Amino acid sequence: MRNSRSERAGYLFILPWFLGLLLFTLGPMLFSFVLSFSKWDIITGIGSIEFVGLDNFKAIFHDELFYQSLKVTFIFALVSVPLYQIVSLLIALLLNMRTRGMKLFRLIYFMPSVIPAVAVSMMWIMIFNPEYGILNRALGWFGIQGPAWLQDPSYALGALIVMGIWGVGNTIIIYLSGLQGVPEELHEAAQLDGAGSIRRFFSVTMPMISPTIFFNLIMGIIGGFQYFTQAFVMTNGGPLNSTLFYNLYLYNKAFVNYEMGYASALSWILFAIILFFTLIVIRSSSMWVYYNGDDDRD
Amino acid sequence: MHTAIRKWSLSRILTLLLLTAGAAIVLVPLLWTVSTSLKTPAEVFQDSFFPKTWKWGNYRDAVTAVPFFLFLKNTVLILIPVMIGTVFTSALCAYGFARFKFKGKRWLFLVLLATMMLPGQVTMIPMFIMFKEAGWVDTFLPLIVPSFFGGGAFNIFLIRQFMRGIPRDLDEAAYMDGANRWSIFTRIMLPLSKPPLIAVSIFTFMGVWNDFQGPLIYLNSNEKYTLALGLSMFKGLYNVEWNMLMAATVLIMLPAIIVFFFLQKYFIEGISLSSAMKG
Repeated sequence: MRNSRSERAGYLFILPWFLGLLLFTLGPMLFSFVLSFSKWDIITGIGSIEFVGLDNFKAIFHDELFYQSLKVTFIFALVSVPLYQIVSLLIALLLNMRTRGMKLFRLIYFMPSVIPAVAVSMMWIMIFNPEYGILNRALGWFGIQGPAWLQDPSYALGALIVMGIWGVGNTIIIYLSGLQGVPEELHEAAQLDGAGSIRRFFSVTMPMISPTIFFNLIMGIIGGFQYFTQAFVMTNGGPLNSTLFYNLYLYNKAFVNYEMGYASALSWILFAIILFFTLIVIRSSSMWVYYNGDDDRD
Repeated sequence: MHTAIRKWSLSRILTLLLLTAGAAIVLVPLLWTVSTSLKTPAEVFQDSFFPKTWKWGNYRDAVTAVPFFLFLKNTVLILIPVMIGTVFTSALCAYGFARFKFKGKRWLFLVLLATMMLPGQVTMIPMFIMFKEAGWVDTFLPLIVPSFFGGGAFNIFLIRQFMRGIPRDLDEAAYMDGANRWSIFTRIMLPLSKPPLIAVSIFTFMGVWNDFQGPLIYLNSNEKYTLALGLSMFKGLYNVEWNMLMAATVLIMLPAIIVFFFLQKYFIEGISLSSAMKG
């Protein structure tokens, strides 16, 4: 089918994406790159963009709030990514057993992840309310005086992490489909060889679903660095910047303070961090990800 | 043999117990939200889980305290064109990548995969400036127009993977019979690609319904707000009671949950499809 007419047709079909790539990805990237070396407040016209060399980056490396936002985001990612993965995998293992009523359980566990983040945030603002929120009332039954959660700098970030466990349904489904892809014969063979259920989990299930773990890990890290809505709606970075996520800080710099150059520099640092972590996971994956003879050649 | 069966049923009971406990943790916050939305303001602060009398009037008050139906209309006005643009153009591009040979295709496809890694924050600021210069700020256009340009790298990838699995004999036979590329696309490839197209539609619906940062950046005047943005502003109103806020929250949750319940099969298939990206 390779002839010039077919070639032209191919180009035509991918044209929308290609134009979008130029208009909404590469063009903006170039502009953003230039902006990150400039000072500009957007209110005055494009003509007033002032080139300042590395000043933005120098200022960022002396910016206490930048370090605070990095700290918040790293703590969140380091705690939440492994925590959510373990919780999701455990629930997926339970959901993978063959019993009646599993379909209903799957629906229930998945439901929270279709609820809009703003609505989830509203719901949890009320749950976390120190006096009449359901969480502290429940803790009260056990004689525990719950903290002020979102109003307490030492608990606010933890509260957001706890809230996130409620919404891991998406990850559960991904693990579940990974688990269902594990051939039954492998389990049976291992069982015949005398492997117990724990041994089977680590020697059969884990290697077989390692691509899924890999995928979820990358998505989890990237998600942590792009966390926004909940932090904006529930705490707006407070109290005392204890939930000032990187993405929220970037938003504030760009759309509250209108420091477009500074914010662009922040966005490139974010990009570099995400790229770095993604590459680490990809590089290390050959050591522990097992692909079932599935390659994607053209 | 006996012990094997006993062990099996014990683990089954344990599994069911754990799953029920987990399901309660998932459901209680939702039920509490619904119950709060039906309480009187005074009852919100009391210890009872359920309202004494169910105040459905809270819902009427909630949709009049903020222009709920206007926000709904705005959301739908964004949703419909975005769904059309995304599904149609991502299928087009997926077909191009799945079935044609052209110079630089491998390289272009790599670029497509690479753009999935690019965080939106990098392009957010320049795109805002671009749309501001175009005079599109405080209109729906910045939220709609980009979806007509390929509808997102991830969606293209998802559909392309599926289309590669469709036997080539089908479209080559049609080609021999004189069908042109366009009719092969609309008559053969699109109907056969229903699963990923439905998955993309659902993801797009959810994406628009949930989108917060986009409307927050581009929509300034109250009467342009979407539901998600409107709900967060609702919280800022000084005279809003918890029961009304929760009523509004329930109203925004409902369509997403309803869509999910009716299309759950496709949801779960779609997510499984998307996680199978090992390319």
